[in-house]
Amino acid sequence: MAVEFSPKTLSRVNNLISRYPHKEGAVLPVLYLAQEEFGHLSQESIEYVAKLMEIPTTRLYGTVSFYTLLHMRPIGRHHIQVCRTLPCALLGAEKITDFLKRKLGIKLGETTTDGKFTLSEVECLASCGTAPMMQINDDYYENLSEEKVEKILESLKGTST
Amino acid sequence: MDTVKLTIDGREIETTKEKTVIQAAADAGISIPYYCYHPKLSIAGNCRMCLVEIEKMPKLQIACNSMVNEGMVVKTQSPQALEARKAIMEFLLINHPLDCPICDQAGECSLQNYYMEHSLMGSNFLERKENNRKREVFGPNVVFDAERCIKCTRCVRFLEEVTRTDELTITNRGDLSTIALFPGKTLDNPLSANVNDICPVGALTDRDFRFKVRVWYLKNTPSICPGCSTGCNITIGSTQNRISRFKPRINESVNSHWICDEGRYCFHPLTEVERLTTPLIRQEGGLVSSNWEAALAPILSGLGSATPLAGLISGRNTNEEAFLFAKVMNTISPQAALEVFYQERDLTETAKILMSPDRSPNFRGAREVGVNSNGGLGAWIQRLVEGKFQGAYIVGEDLLSLVPDGEKIKRALEQLSFLVVQDTHLTATARLAHVVLPATNFAEKEGTFTNRRGRVQKLNPALVPPPGTLQDWEIFNHLLEKAGEKSSSLTPTEIFHQISVEVPRYQGMSYSAIGEQGILPTNVSRQP
Amino acid sequence: MEKILLRNIETQDSHTLTVYQSRGGYRALQKALKEMTPEKVTEEVIASGLRGRGGAGFPTGRKWSFVPKDNPKPKYLVCNADESEPGTFKDRVLIEKDPHAVIEGLILASFAIQSHLAFIYIRGEFAFGYRVLEKAVEEVRQAGYIGKDILGSGYDLELIVHRGAGAYICGEETALLSSLEGQRGWPKLKPPFPATHGLFGCPTVVNNVETLAALPWIIDQGAAKYAALGTEKSKGTKLFSVCGQIQRPGVYEVEMGYPLKRFLEEDCGGVRVGRKLKGVIPGGSSVPILRWDEIGEARLDYESIQAAGSLLGSGGMIVIDDSTCMVKAACNIAHFYAHESCGQCTPCREGCHWMEKIFWRIENGQGNEKDLDLVADVSRHIMGNTICPLGDAAAMPAGAFINKFRDEFEYHIAHKKCMV
Repeated sequence: MAVEFSPKTLSRVNNLISRYPHKEGAVLPVLYLAQEEFGHLSQESIEYVAKLMEIPTTRLYGTVSFYTLLHMRPIGRHHIQVCRTLPCALLGAEKITDFLKRKLGIKLGETTTDGKFTLSEVECLASCGTAPMMQINDDYYENLSEEKVEKILESLKGTST
Repeated sequence: MDTVKLTIDGREIETTKEKTVIQAAADAGISIPYYCYHPKLSIAGNCRMCLVEIEKMPKLQIACNSMVNEGMVVKTQSPQALEARKAIMEFLLINHPLDCPICDQAGECSLQNYYMEHSLMGSNFLERKENNRKREVFGPNVVFDAERCIKCTRCVRFLEEVTRTDELTITNRGDLSTIALFPGKTLDNPLSANVNDICPVGALTDRDFRFKVRVWYLKNTPSICPGCSTGCNITIGSTQNRISRFKPRINESVNSHWICDEGRYCFHPLTEVERLTTPLIRQEGGLVSSNWEAALAPILSGLGSATPLAGLISGRNTNEEAFLFAKVMNTISPQAALEVFYQERDLTETAKILMSPDRSPNFRGAREVGVNSNGGLGAWIQRLVEGKFQGAYIVGEDLLSLVPDGEKIKRALEQLSFLVVQDTHLTATARLAHVVLPATNFAEKEGTFTNRRGRVQKLNPALVPPPGTLQDWEIFNHLLEKAGEKSSSLTPTEIFHQISVEVPRYQGMSYSAIGEQGILPTNVSRQP
Repeated sequence: MEKILLRNIETQDSHTLTVYQSRGGYRALQKALKEMTPEKVTEEVIASGLRGRGGAGFPTGRKWSFVPKDNPKPKYLVCNADESEPGTFKDRVLIEKDPHAVIEGLILASFAIQSHLAFIYIRGEFAFGYRVLEKAVEEVRQAGYIGKDILGSGYDLELIVHRGAGAYICGEETALLSSLEGQRGWPKLKPPFPATHGLFGCPTVVNNVETLAALPWIIDQGAAKYAALGTEKSKGTKLFSVCGQIQRPGVYEVEMGYPLKRFLEEDCGGVRVGRKLKGVIPGGSSVPILRWDEIGEARLDYESIQAAGSLLGSGGMIVIDDSTCMVKAACNIAHFYAHESCGQCTPCREGCHWMEKIFWRIENGQGNEKDLDLVADVSRHIMGNTICPLGDAAAMPAGAFINKFRDEFEYHIAHKKCMV
């Protein structure tokens, strides 16, 4: 299957590019669009975006591999990212992570067999005043306790996004 | 240019203001150690090995990114600078496998050299070293050992800035960062093996040279690449009278710091042949071994009675040889049609950075010193095929295998009443000859090449020719002697002197002035 | 104390243009564009004594003045909204609750340096904040505060909100610029400096969210009024985000020079009942920790915190009580910097990971008596020798934890377990 943006996304891409003083400036936003449309940044998607942005594929590969929010492998529908940095750790982040591992039956970096959840430990998300906390896809979940996490999981299990 | 005075390690140095501290120091013979800096690449400043103390600066500064300033005081050996550099060494070695005994870089490794100079201490690193990729084949000429890599990015920058082919990048970050190809791609461009040269450590090594010989056993001879008429300056590394490798030798007027892959490995086909070690003469039933006296004896008369006469010399023969060859031929027959072998091929944009379209390093020089009947090789071959020649003397090229009309040439050569072939090995062309003379290759001789742009450069013998052979110029000397020329038995130096007297373009040039960087005759004529 | 930075956030729908304007928003912009020259705006900001709130504390107006006036290249203003320093979450409040203050500040700063294209580089994880800003930008575009001929002044400005993609290092201004150029977030060598060779090689100023958010008030109310607040060298107010083992974590606006002890005990409610304060990291995880007995009379301004043995940094305050093992805390922070080191230069790439490994060994009962001196050596060898300040950011806390809680580390090594 050839990787290609839909006409609608392509017009968004062109609009983005036109706003930057140099085409390469639009690389990160275009990668976000690619990730949104293709699910993850496979080799083919990187090659496609590189061609579109007129930059060397290898260099784009180096760029993609640098950022934690850009995924070169498929991830679950709900990407659970538990903050592990000191402020959260002081207030029990480790316990939250352990609880999630038990509940989901997976280790860090793994995805549940149904493809619903991927569990990761991440560094500070700038929500230290409401520690411990985690981010699931775009949303922050703060002041976590095991009970709260359990409820969040329940609510996500029913959803399809 | 604005001059600037600064002090480095107590020495007052005068330099120009566009220089960096590392350059100004190097010009003054003060070496500041470095890994990532390369004079031909952009400044990366990542290795931090060139940290020096600069007065009035709160922190140590990297010499590669510090511009010189009037009155600047630089200390490369202050306790602070030394401690920092020692620390950098230790950092670079903590995950290094320390596998020098099996590493090809050993003996010319910056990591090894600076360790010997700077620290010689044991490591404080008690942790388990990180394992990393070993022996990853990057391309036909390059192999990568991630464990030895110090992430200086010289290779990445070379491929971005010089070849503009962008095969390599850095992926990931932190101590997981590594040099990488895009999955499924290879590092294969006409200049790819230069990354092995610029890698300051043993991370990128040459697949052709890998595990062949320890570098300290190499005899290094400055010479000129025989691959094409660019005339890249090289160092021939040889062991036990065999060539082990070519390395580029810096010449900013020709090849800067680089050579092409084709040139780098061209010594294999040129030298790894079964050598002729006695002259051969044709008798009933074929070619038989003979001796020099018997082989040289019939040549003048054989060729003399076979006019119209054709002469062809290889573009790998020196100016001195071409000069004598023309003399020999003109002595036999002033109307002899003389040409230098020349053939073009198509080159890619990357190839054109260094490579010339031909494979005749001394095409220009050989023509300039007299091998030139103004007809061109095409017309010469045409006449040969049409049977217009009766005799021919072919030096150093296997004409039959090199031109598309091999069969026609073969028939034409078979028709000749007298054919002399002079070469290093028994080529298809030589098999048709009446006399075959065993000669030498580019690595065995002394002399000069004139490159495409007219620069005269010197070849030096790296190898001893096999017993039984004679240098091409020696053979021509003998023939001239037999022809009654008084000034025979000239050495290359003497022949060059004669060229400088007789050939207008080379007028007034002296052999000794050519040196290791070559010279451009003062009255340079444009491309012939 | 009159609130400057948090003046709007308690109001319902403070993030909307209507509410922001109803509270005096964009008055400063009107004033600047109609009554002031770019030079006057810069002078006013210099006079206010405002210093960069991202962590370095460099005078904001002076930073602008380094932008060459005669350079024919375009000039760029970039808002650094890549808030990632552990313990710091003050900018997020401004972005989410008062985006227009940030945008108005950004327009003022752009006007001052005569930039016609400005960026807000927001960390990728702030998806919500990104949407808030996008919406706010749309509102100001409609209102004519950005675009062509703003308020009839002849001044043009475009604004792009740009999402980062997950890398702490991109909070460092030159790494941020690399990232904005579509590259790996690698810091750039200095010199040249961004003021002359920044984004795409053009003169660029990078200002923190909080810095920009202070500008509308300063221009509207006048530099003198701002400079009247705070101490002699640290003027005005500053946000402090307080977290960790403290009763009332959150974001506080404090007049510079406010006593740290009082702040922690009264404003933030002190440590939890039955616990004792062990230490506080006052300016984000990269600054040296202050031991409880070092707090003394320290005040919340750049000079006083430095005199006490740490740095004011970003104002991200991490409070640690006596239930916490300092070895484990040091280990956690060392892991952070090893994970976030960009890998470009030797001391940081190798040193951060090395320190993490040593701390991990001590924490897991495999330490030896030489380890503490070794960490001190490694951190000293990173310090000052790297391309960007991340090296120092990793080295400073490592050294400080060991110096100030040496007994805990020694106990760990000797007894292979924790004394807490």
